Amino acid sequence: MNDQLQPSASQLLMHDMGLTEAEIERRKRIVGIEPSDLDRIAKIRGFVTSHADEYVSSFFDHLYGLDDARPLLASRSLVDRARHLKQEHLLAMVNGDYGSNYAEQRLELGALYARAGLDTRLFLGAFHQMLLNIGHDVMTEFQRTPADGFECFMALQKIAFFDIGIIVDILVFERERVIRQQQDAIREISTPVLQIRERLLLLPVIGVIDTQRARFITESLLRAVRTNRAKVVVMDVTGVVTIDSKVANHVLQTVAAARLMGATMIVTGLSAEVAQSLVTLGIELSGLNTVGDLQGGLEEAEQLLGYRVLAPGTTPPQVAP
Amino acid sequence: MVTVFVESTVPIEREADIVTARQKGRELAAAVGFSGTEQTVIALAISEIARNIVSYARRGKVFISPTNDGRRRGVLVIAEDEGPGIPDIELAMRDGYSTARSFGVGLPGTKRLMDEFQLESAVGRGTTVRMTKWLR
Amino acid sequence: MSVPILKLAGVLVASVQAALSDQDLMRLRDEFASQIGRYRSAGIVIDLTALDVLDSYATRMLQSIANAAKLRGANTMVVGIQPEVAFAMVQLGLSLEGVGTALDLEDGLAELGSLTQQRGHRVR
Repeated sequence: MNDQLQPSASQLLMHDMGLTEAEIERRKRIVGIEPSDLDRIAKIRGFVTSHADEYVSSFFDHLYGLDDARPLLASRSLVDRARHLKQEHLLAMVNGDYGSNYAEQRLELGALYARAGLDTRLFLGAFHQMLLNIGHDVMTEFQRTPADGFECFMALQKIAFFDIGIIVDILVFERERVIRQQQDAIREISTPVLQIRERLLLLPVIGVIDTQRARFITESLLRAVRTNRAKVVVMDVTGVVTIDSKVANHVLQTVAAARLMGATMIVTGLSAEVAQSLVTLGIELSGLNTVGDLQGGLEEAEQLLGYRVLAPGTTPPQVAP
Repeated sequence: MVTVFVESTVPIEREADIVTARQKGRELAAAVGFSGTEQTVIALAISEIARNIVSYARRGKVFISPTNDGRRRGVLVIAEDEGPGIPDIELAMRDGYSTARSFGVGLPGTKRLMDEFQLESAVGRGTTVRMTKWLR
Repeated sequence: MSVPILKLAGVLVASVQAALSDQDLMRLRDEFASQIGRYRSAGIVIDLTALDVLDSYATRMLQSIANAAKLRGANTMVVGIQPEVAFAMVQLGLSLEGVGTALDLEDGLAELGSLTQQRGHRVR
């Protein structure tokens, strides 16, 4: 089981984003890359390659001029790596081979930008600046045959658009991933499972419960049952915004799962009206152990666990050895 | 070294194959990045449909593969058999319906475990179940 | 692969280590049935801690074992179902209806002990 050849991070990302061979060909068709373009690019290959340093610098100089690009530029190693990759990129752009290796290369740099938090617009601005510089130099080089020069530059533009497509996609993709992670973190914080006494857990549920959150709550609870060796769980739903049939079913599922682990669940905070409307909707609540309020639920739980609440002033009975 | 992040097909002929299929499913789910709980859910879904093949069709196969739709990745499972087929699909997919040997949880329950679930069946020709679970 | 049944404090305990074949489960049920009679056991505990999934077939077999035990006057406790397994089971719609459950062997034995005590009181 340990002999696993895991794909590299870039390959996984290619897969996640659906960048298959077919998809890459599709994107090339979308920007209109044709065999004749490859010939045109070949004409300026030597030229662009010899000035590659300059062009890469113009990209980063543009970023340095913008306050918002600080994060990317703050880390020396990050900038060096980005410069290095950018140089490789530029050379590959005029090299003529635009297959999945090429795409993966774009992806790697895009992922770097994403990690550094580079805004899409800043990237586009810098990229545009770099292209402008190349275009200007190409036209100067081809001043005696400007039509040719223009055609060559247009061919390069197509490749540029192909590149932009990939890098923008990955910036967006990664941003969405961060948002999802933040949502997960919020979910985690918003449903604490509290151990009140030995073998007794309290789960206060507050807010809106959608399917995802409900499953998360159930999972957390079951793990807490195992970790804390809980025999009774009091789940308080007073703070749940809407208790419809879906939420009710989630609660019933949680109760059933807890029982499979030997834990009894008491649900508190379910008003009589809500309970009635659920019954009317056909939800089977008869097996559910409900108590009106939290205090009552906790007392019931303690009884189940064998704790006895004594009136003040009573001497506790002696326990026989 | 063995590559785990690839598709596989498990022939289902004996009940021991059910365990093989769900193990493969679990391994792939883990490689794709699903949590332990989700791996168990996928393994259970595979176990149920593989069991159906053994109980009703006697033989078939289960295809398990990584999949993606451009935004997220997941696991795709396709179970095929050339058994008797399901005469009344709507009835079979109704919650609570139970045949003599099944428990009434079979198909609708399995559908609940996964994100996408399609069933095609023709009497005398066989059944194909296609289901997918997506990584959030 | 057969599952060994141990005698522990008047109770029969079987700890399932890996997925059991249909035959193994039936053999287990028959073994329990015969040993309950032989040792006059008041209860049996089936420990599922090592299982990573429990499907509808296995669940049905567990119920069948519990029924067979009940016919011979013994209570059944299923223990050790893991959080992920319980989660998946209820999503599918499985509930182990009518079978006692506890967190682990220790709790399972305690439950059976108190059940036997209750029974003892009734007899008296």
